[in-house]
Amino acid sequence: MMNHCTASTVADLLSKFALELAFAAPGGDSGLLPMNSFLMKIEDLAKAPAVPAQIVAATGQARQWLDRVFETTATFDADALVRLGSWQAWMESAAEKWAQGSPVPELPASWEGAPAGQKSPASGNADEPELILHAEADRELLAEFINESQEHLQNIEQGVLVLEENPADADTLNSIFRAFHTFKGGAGFLNLTAIKDLAHELESLLDAARLHRLEVTSGIIDVILEGGDRLTEFVRHIQTRLAGGDASAPIRVPTLCLIARVKSLLSDPGAPVAFPAPRVVEAVETFSFAPAEPVPVGVAKVDAPAARPSTGAASGDSAAGFVKVDTHKLDSLIEIVGELVIAQSMVVQDAGVRDLVSQELTRNLAQLRRTTNDLQRTAMSLRMVPIRNTFQKMTRLVRDLAAKQQKQVRLVMNGEDTELDRTIVGELSDPLIHMIRNSVDHGIERPDARIARGKPAEGIVELSAFHQGGSIVIQIRDDGDGLNKERILAKAIENGLVKPDAALSDSEIFGLIFAAGFSTAEAITDISGRGVGMDVVRRNIENLRGKIEITSTPGEGTTFTISLPLTLAIIDGLIVGVGPERYIIPTLSVRESFRPTPEMLSTVYGRGEMVNVRGRLTPLLRLHRHFNIEARVANPTEGILVVVESGADRRCVMVDDLLGKQEVVIKSLGEQFKRNGALAGGAILGDGRVGLILNVDALVKLEEPDTELAA
Amino acid sequence: MSTETLNHSNTAAAGKYLTFELGRERYGVPALRVREIIRLCEITQVPQMPAHIKGVVNLRGKIIPVMDLRTRFQLGHIENNERTCIIVVEIALESGGKKLTGIIVDGVDEVANITADEIEPTPHFACGIETSTILGMAKRKDGVTSLLDIDRVVDGDALSAIAH
Repeated sequence: MMNHCTASTVADLLSKFALELAFAAPGGDSGLLPMNSFLMKIEDLAKAPAVPAQIVAATGQARQWLDRVFETTATFDADALVRLGSWQAWMESAAEKWAQGSPVPELPASWEGAPAGQKSPASGNADEPELILHAEADRELLAEFINESQEHLQNIEQGVLVLEENPADADTLNSIFRAFHTFKGGAGFLNLTAIKDLAHELESLLDAARLHRLEVTSGIIDVILEGGDRLTEFVRHIQTRLAGGDASAPIRVPTLCLIARVKSLLSDPGAPVAFPAPRVVEAVETFSFAPAEPVPVGVAKVDAPAARPSTGAASGDSAAGFVKVDTHKLDSLIEIVGELVIAQSMVVQDAGVRDLVSQELTRNLAQLRRTTNDLQRTAMSLRMVPIRNTFQKMTRLVRDLAAKQQKQVRLVMNGEDTELDRTIVGELSDPLIHMIRNSVDHGIERPDARIARGKPAEGIVELSAFHQGGSIVIQIRDDGDGLNKERILAKAIENGLVKPDAALSDSEIFGLIFAAGFSTAEAITDISGRGVGMDVVRRNIENLRGKIEITSTPGEGTTFTISLPLTLAIIDGLIVGVGPERYIIPTLSVRESFRPTPEMLSTVYGRGEMVNVRGRLTPLLRLHRHFNIEARVANPTEGILVVVESGADRRCVMVDDLLGKQEVVIKSLGEQFKRNGALAGGAILGDGRVGLILNVDALVKLEEPDTELAA
Repeated sequence: MSTETLNHSNTAAAGKYLTFELGRERYGVPALRVREIIRLCEITQVPQMPAHIKGVVNLRGKIIPVMDLRTRFQLGHIENNERTCIIVVEIALESGGKKLTGIIVDGVDEVANITADEIEPTPHFACGIETSTILGMAKRKDGVTSLLDIDRVVDGDALSAIAH
């Protein structure tokens, strides 16, 4: 029992060690100190009486190597990393054997004399292979290669995340193997030797793993992840070269050390060899598994790495069911369908058609409407992708951040299959990274602080996506420290964002952290950083026509709630009339609308006309006056006030009447009207005329031009 | 190809022109630039725009701006009649792109073949009279047709700078 306990602590430390190792690079000292401290803890544990001699010896060996690093340059060289990598892998399997009570293998022979160093300890970079592109001749092929690589890289990264949960997952091992394999093929074809070599080694590693010749340890997972990173780096370099960089400049990405680590993992005698040769060959040929283990072979599984809508995908990672389409074609298809829908509604609403009394016509028109609606829904769904990919990037982020800060953070994800417009998904990544980083950096406390507060040492960041009404909600919840209301308010008053006597609700106070430049260098330490870049987050979200809200309980955590439209192409609009014109206000920005009574209206000196909306004075904007149109009503009590909001600001927009609510397809008005900030675009209404969409953001921020006049 | 030439030189090239009426004058635009001619339809006004920008219309699902050429040329207002129509032209943007714009004219005439010897360079009027939008004058048997540089006509900035 005692053994088991010690062994698992060692295994735990080893996996932390592996994590640091994965981020260490030749020529740098990143990770050196943490590795040292983990090793010291292992050394302490190894002093216990029942620890196998081999483990004690191996620990001593690692100590020697690490000390050498300290004694010489205090930076890693490629050799040292390879040795530490192989040590880590050996230790991991040894610790497992020990925990199970099986005999621990002998130390690998290759370690003997290793500290002397067979290679010159010169910086590992010098003999790294260079990659020179023939950008002119191969431009198209390279572009295609990059295009395909993205998918493989994604598969690799997502696969790694699955492996962390379930290291023996056969489907995932296969899919990563195939990704590396395809990479190798493509790179070989284009004569990108450095990529090919690296991919080849990684492929062999995966091959061994999927054939059960190698056990997938966290060390191996890290190597795979790093391999993916290196390949990503290559691809990025090629991309910049193609995009007009100096194409002939050699690309240099350190691979030798990684290749060496892979080789040592493969040759490691400590790794269990399970299968006799003939069966292995058979397995290679048939691309399936020898059914020796209860692996669910052939079970159709909605596969995590599939980045596409899962409709009809029997086995998610087979590409057979998908067609790659140019996004421009897709967009124009959606646009045309939008026009069809409008044309259809114009026909149905046509006065001449309405006058016809024919049951058959009515039936046919109803059929037409159903079909066009179906068509539109299907066309829209083409743009939709699950948010899974974006969420999974966060797993990596949380993992890295937590390791760096020595916090224990678990990311819980819900609703990864929720589908969003692909443009939104793309734009969402940055704000999410920002907020997750904030939650881990500033929200979640260190383990000791958490325990002192009676919380579990492991903090939880919960990332969820779900539908609510006509929008998609994405929530980031942490169980950390929470926001400090008093300090935010004090800071805002100090910065002049809020008047000292202002009475703000909680959510308004929290909203202040989104104000531009709210958190500055001299901000109070424990909320500093909370505001950095939060204004960018809000702007990003608002560009997507979304909204963001915060709730927070001191000591219990903070929740960011983002609501986004389902698609960027269509909005739900409130259609209002002003004089002869019709305007569309995005419903998402509308809080309420009503006809005011005379006592609700007042004129505040210096601030213009105000409306008392349930105790809150809100500035009045007469849209007709602002737009210089002849309105049908001049008195607000005969018209309608629409309360719109953007961020924490609100404004009452006075219109003649409400004409209805409608989903509209947003169209650009073109360059000429860009200057007109009050308009967000145009849309074609049911009668074929153009309605203009108001830019609520600009209207709310508008300085009332007739303040003086009204006062 | 002739459109290319038009962009880069300041004289009109021979070729097919769509001629139209505006007040008592006759104007021509290169026929290759004309996408279509549509009936005057209901125009959605866009607030806070210069007077000659009438607004936007729906051209089969696309929203395009519409300019009143009378206001643009400061010709005074007349009531629209059944001859009034919108010529949809393709404008080459300075950024290299293209866009469609509608221009309201009093009435469309014909597509005329204008030969090189009919074209004369724009005469220089007294200062203050804007001639940069006119590429040349075509003398024809029924009068003079001004050949417009449609890109300049539509490009609002160049215009307002001169007008003020």
